[in-house]
Amino acid sequence: MHSSMILMTMIPLLTPIIITLIKPNNNLLYPHYVKLAIIYAFTVSMLSMTMFIFTGQESMISNWHWMTIQTIELSLNFKMDFFSMMFTPVALFVTWSIVEFSMWYMSSDPNINQFLKYLLIFLVTMLILITANNLFQLFIGWEGMGIMSFLLISWWHGRTDANTAALQAILYNRIGDIGFILAMTWFFLYSNSWDFQQMFILDRTPNSFPLMSLLLAATGKSAQFGLHPWLPSAMEGPTPVSALLHSSTMVVAGVFLIIRFHPMMENNSLIQTLTLSMGAITTLFTAICALTQNDLKKIVAFSTSSQLGLMMVTIGINQPHLAFLHICTHAFFKAMLFLSAGSIIHSLNNEQDIRKMGGLFKTLPFTSSSLIIGSFALMGMPFLTGFYSKDLIIETANTSYTNAWALTTTLVATSLTAMYSIRIIFFALAGYPRFTTLILINENNPKLMNPINRLALGSIFAGFLISNCVPPTSHPQVTMPWHLKLTALGVTILGLLVATELSLMTNSMKLSTPLKTFYFSNMLGFYSATTHRLNPHSSLTMSQNLTSALLDLFWLEKSMPKMTTQTQISASTTSSTQKGLIKLYFLSFFIPPMLALLLTI
Amino acid sequence: MNPLAHLIISLTILTGTTITILSSHWFLAWMGLELNMLAIVPILAKNTNPRSTEASTKYFLIQATASMILLMAIFLNNLTSGQWTINPPHNQTLSTMMLIALVMKMGMAPLHFWLPEVTQGTPLIPAMIVLTWQKLAPLSIMFQIFPSTNTSIILMISILSIMAGSWGGLNQTQLRKILAYSSITHMGWMMAVLYYDPNITILTLIIYIFLTISTFMIFYLNSNMTTLSLSHTWNKLTWMMPMVPLMMMSLGGLPPLTGFSPKWAIMQELTKNNNLIIPLTMAMLTLMNLYFYMRLTYSISMTMFPTSNNTKINWQLKHTKPMPLLPPLMTLSTLMLPLTPLMLTN
Amino acid sequence: MLKIILPTIMMLPTMWLSKTHMMWINTMTCSLLISIFTLMMLYLPNNSCNLSLNFFSDPLTSPLLMLTAWLLPLMILATQQHLHNNSAPRKKLYISMLVFLQISLIMTFSATELILFYILFETTLIPTLIIITRWGYQPERLNAGSYFLFYTLAGSLPLLITLLHYFSSLGSLNILTMTINTKEMMLSWTNNIMWLGCMMAFMVKMPLYGLHLWLPKAHVEAPIAGSMVLAAILLKLGSYGMMRVTPMLNPLTEKMSYPFIVLSLWGMVMTSSICLRQADLKSLIAYSSVSHMALVILAILIQTPWSLTGAMILMIAHGLTSSLLFCLANSNYERVHSRTMMFTRGLQALFPLLALWWLLANLTNLALPPTINLMGELLTILASFSWSNFTIMFTGFNMLITALYSLHMFTSTQRGPLTYSTSNVKPLFTRENTLMLMHMAPILLLTLNPKTIMCLTP
Repeated sequence: MHSSMILMTMIPLLTPIIITLIKPNNNLLYPHYVKLAIIYAFTVSMLSMTMFIFTGQESMISNWHWMTIQTIELSLNFKMDFFSMMFTPVALFVTWSIVEFSMWYMSSDPNINQFLKYLLIFLVTMLILITANNLFQLFIGWEGMGIMSFLLISWWHGRTDANTAALQAILYNRIGDIGFILAMTWFFLYSNSWDFQQMFILDRTPNSFPLMSLLLAATGKSAQFGLHPWLPSAMEGPTPVSALLHSSTMVVAGVFLIIRFHPMMENNSLIQTLTLSMGAITTLFTAICALTQNDLKKIVAFSTSSQLGLMMVTIGINQPHLAFLHICTHAFFKAMLFLSAGSIIHSLNNEQDIRKMGGLFKTLPFTSSSLIIGSFALMGMPFLTGFYSKDLIIETANTSYTNAWALTTTLVATSLTAMYSIRIIFFALAGYPRFTTLILINENNPKLMNPINRLALGSIFAGFLISNCVPPTSHPQVTMPWHLKLTALGVTILGLLVATELSLMTNSMKLSTPLKTFYFSNMLGFYSATTHRLNPHSSLTMSQNLTSALLDLFWLEKSMPKMTTQTQISASTTSSTQKGLIKLYFLSFFIPPMLALLLTI
Repeated sequence: MNPLAHLIISLTILTGTTITILSSHWFLAWMGLELNMLAIVPILAKNTNPRSTEASTKYFLIQATASMILLMAIFLNNLTSGQWTINPPHNQTLSTMMLIALVMKMGMAPLHFWLPEVTQGTPLIPAMIVLTWQKLAPLSIMFQIFPSTNTSIILMISILSIMAGSWGGLNQTQLRKILAYSSITHMGWMMAVLYYDPNITILTLIIYIFLTISTFMIFYLNSNMTTLSLSHTWNKLTWMMPMVPLMMMSLGGLPPLTGFSPKWAIMQELTKNNNLIIPLTMAMLTLMNLYFYMRLTYSISMTMFPTSNNTKINWQLKHTKPMPLLPPLMTLSTLMLPLTPLMLTN
Repeated sequence: MLKIILPTIMMLPTMWLSKTHMMWINTMTCSLLISIFTLMMLYLPNNSCNLSLNFFSDPLTSPLLMLTAWLLPLMILATQQHLHNNSAPRKKLYISMLVFLQISLIMTFSATELILFYILFETTLIPTLIIITRWGYQPERLNAGSYFLFYTLAGSLPLLITLLHYFSSLGSLNILTMTINTKEMMLSWTNNIMWLGCMMAFMVKMPLYGLHLWLPKAHVEAPIAGSMVLAAILLKLGSYGMMRVTPMLNPLTEKMSYPFIVLSLWGMVMTSSICLRQADLKSLIAYSSVSHMALVILAILIQTPWSLTGAMILMIAHGLTSSLLFCLANSNYERVHSRTMMFTRGLQALFPLLALWWLLANLTNLALPPTINLMGELLTILASFSWSNFTIMFTGFNMLITALYSLHMFTSTQRGPLTYSTSNVKPLFTRENTLMLMHMAPILLLTLNPKTIMCLTP
């Protein structure tokens, strides 16, 4: 039953892709096909999800034996456990909304069909990743998403920035892939299988090495600190892409990978600590970066990065289910935030700078209210979606005996969340309009309204629904002191108040030179500035000077062919230059015979 | 030249060599050599220009010296052994002396300096005779005396010849000189294996003669003297263009062509006798030979114009030299490698 | 085996006797038929078979034979535009060179005797050399041809001597009986030099880093068919020879391979980083094949079942991929008339379908899962990882750089604004699309069922 369900989810998604192969002509109805396919898949996956929740039975389909390499067998293997069954409808729901949104957002693009097809292919790879039961299949999804993200970021390929951002994304992802490959090799060698079950059975006390490489993979994909700069750059892509790939689905793949490998990680304290610290650093750092950004999409992107850090923290305190819950809830409101941002940007004629917005609450009431809902959900306002996961995470972190520094960092980041969210609201929605007037602001199109509407509903209710379905695997703290219970709320409100206060102050204060700390935040912690200048420059210079010019063109060329030529030429000239005088011949004839005769006598 | 005189002279060349090859008497063999040498001088000097005269004089002087050394060795041999039969001399000094005389006659290193000059000085056909037919008589005597010669000296001479031939040829643009150097190299290969298996020497000689004759024929057909003039081949003999490179490569000894078969046999024979470094050195040095053949190839056919419009205007006269032997010769000199085993079985 | 060789030989009269306008079609049909025939005949999952006294085929050779036979129609397809201005006899001569090359390659791969193998190995030089030096684009082609010829010959002469020595000491160089016949090679100076003698020829041909200078030159100067066959098959001759000869050299390979493994690891990273800075499209692809072949060398020298399987897969995958990349570079060249990447920007706007092919080619080049390229690389990385854990630094770094330069190649040729010099270009021909498809289809099909090329069990 499950297997047929999952096939019924996958097949409709593949049909529009195949249709274009058969009938490549530009079809005006194609976007609708895509939307319908996704809706259908969503419905079916909802069914299978409810069934899964009802029975609670984990299942696994294995069909179509692909190949056998010596002792390892690779086949098409789907795993339908809680994570995949739960995340599939969420991803489909979000994609549905985003596809519908992009029908409005990209309507002027002549290649909209292709765009939607890319989105669809991306979705398929995502589903492959989610449902994979072996590492190889997961890698297919993993890499497929990377490539689709490359293509989608550079969608407007005439722009150099878009191309650079796409290459940058691939670069950072590929660094993560090294980790993935490393883990694959390790598991292949030491557990002789890529199937999760076998790997987990064979490695009860696993080595830290593969787990660290998996963490590297997750760092690359989920834009954790060190490999984070690609995520804000990826905002060069169209807004639906940012909404789908770079907030709700693709970037959580790294976290998802770690969750999948949780059975191996839970006993390894080194990895736990590493994950925790990395998550904490990421969440704080990116939150700081988000504070002073002026690009609307970049703020949301940094907030995504910060939330990804929070998920990592959750895994670090050994709560994969909570991290997963946060993935699901985060998908709703983050997608919606991006869609609202997209609506604003579109209405303001592709203006992304929040300093040039303002007063949009009057002109774009619907978008503004959903933006506010999303922001509040992000902050963890009680009984909105974000609350159910975020609050739980903070509580669990508070009550767990882990690194206090990491905990503090996370709390600070949580309050910063409130600050930058308020900053968006304040700059974009409140105050006086600062945009040029002759703009036709319009938000009446149902293709725009419906998706945001749906996601807004999701942002309000989904948390409640999903959090009820999460089985409490590792025991959550049942009781705790009230100050711990209220920390999450407290820090958020603190951040909110500070932000409001600061924003109000800015209006009445005179202009002053920004502080050094402002530069730190605004320049993204100087991370991109240093690494993006230094590393490529040094490596490209090295490849130019050292490998290409010095070794290849000079040393190897000189030492072998050129040197041979030189010696041959000199030998040739010395041995064969002669005057043609017969007396010299006879002189030369005199010596060798004498030598030879002397030798033999 | 008077045709009758030409005929007589040509016949004398033939006779001289034949006498040398067939005789079992030292004096008769020497006499054959002298006959041959005296007869070829007028052929070399056929064109009465200073270059030819100089070449023929040089040739005469060198050959006469070599013959005298040989004669002295023969007399000394007679003195020690008391017989005139051609046998390997028992005295190694004498055999070395004979060897040196013959080396000088064949123009091998280190006594090779005259050979390119002489070939360059004469027209193509006499040059061809100098480089092919004239090697037969001395080599046949070598063939009979080699068992008593010093192997190291022979190998030394052969390697020196290969070096001299390879390096000398690199420096040349004149076709006859290039072929003379190539002949020096080939003689080196022949001598290298002489001590181990004289049959292979003969095989090498035969194949070398085929190759050289067909190369000369092609040059003769076009009246080519320099590398530059080769680049007009495409206009005169379009159909020769794919063939000439093959022949050049065969001359350089590239594997699937005939030129490889003697080299293969020689290397096999040498390695069979646990001699690995010498064949390797020889083969490596011969790469330079291949290099200057490749240069010829480049100028013959690799640098044609991309379009063939010019071929329609045939501004040269049609060649009037009938060459009935050329096709079979070319076939032999390119495609004989599969037959090597047949030729090697005694 | 004659079933394949004879029809291939008969292609020559077919082509020379056919009328000018039918020539392309006739040769194309014949070669396609032959290649389909090889597919049917040479699929031998488990055992080797003696096809005649001199020729045989086993799971190591048959994929390579199939690749060889498959590449001829592709080369014929690809060269049509390049030869457009040539007169009919020259076209025919060119095709006969390709056919000669095919014949000699088939015979090389299937030879049972090592000396025969050597001779045919060298035979392949002649048509390739003629193709490069006669039909190349620029005057530097002569230099490139000389580099190609002399690097290979200087590397392979020691092989000949060593083989002859083995022949005189063992009495037979038959590949089939080799494992029974050979003595163990112990560590000694003589044996070390013998090992080098045997391996150097193939290392040059592969080429190993440091001996690779001929390859970029030859690729840059060669016409399209030359580049294709060079990248796809001639490099594989080296790896094939290595795999054939190593059983003879055991157990010395374990000791002797260290410097070469290290060199190929180092060279892999070096050549890929050279790729990052190449402005010349063909040179970039050439360096990328050097870097991929370094992986193959690594795999062959490690000599575990996994690594040899990986090497086999990688050989086939790289053969198809790099050939495809060269075809694409040629399509660009024929339109923009420059190989410099700066002049080929933004072609996606003009040729969307070409952009698709570029994308696919680059994705396979960077070993996107689940293509066979990835399978090969993964197995190789696995084997090298189990050989020594530190190799992962190089292999992993190489993966990163490979992805970077592949996508950089894609971005800089397809993306961005069009250059002003790009004007008056021809549209993409169906011929070219077919060509790309015929490269891509085997890769995709083999991805579905890689068992065909991985039944090599040494």
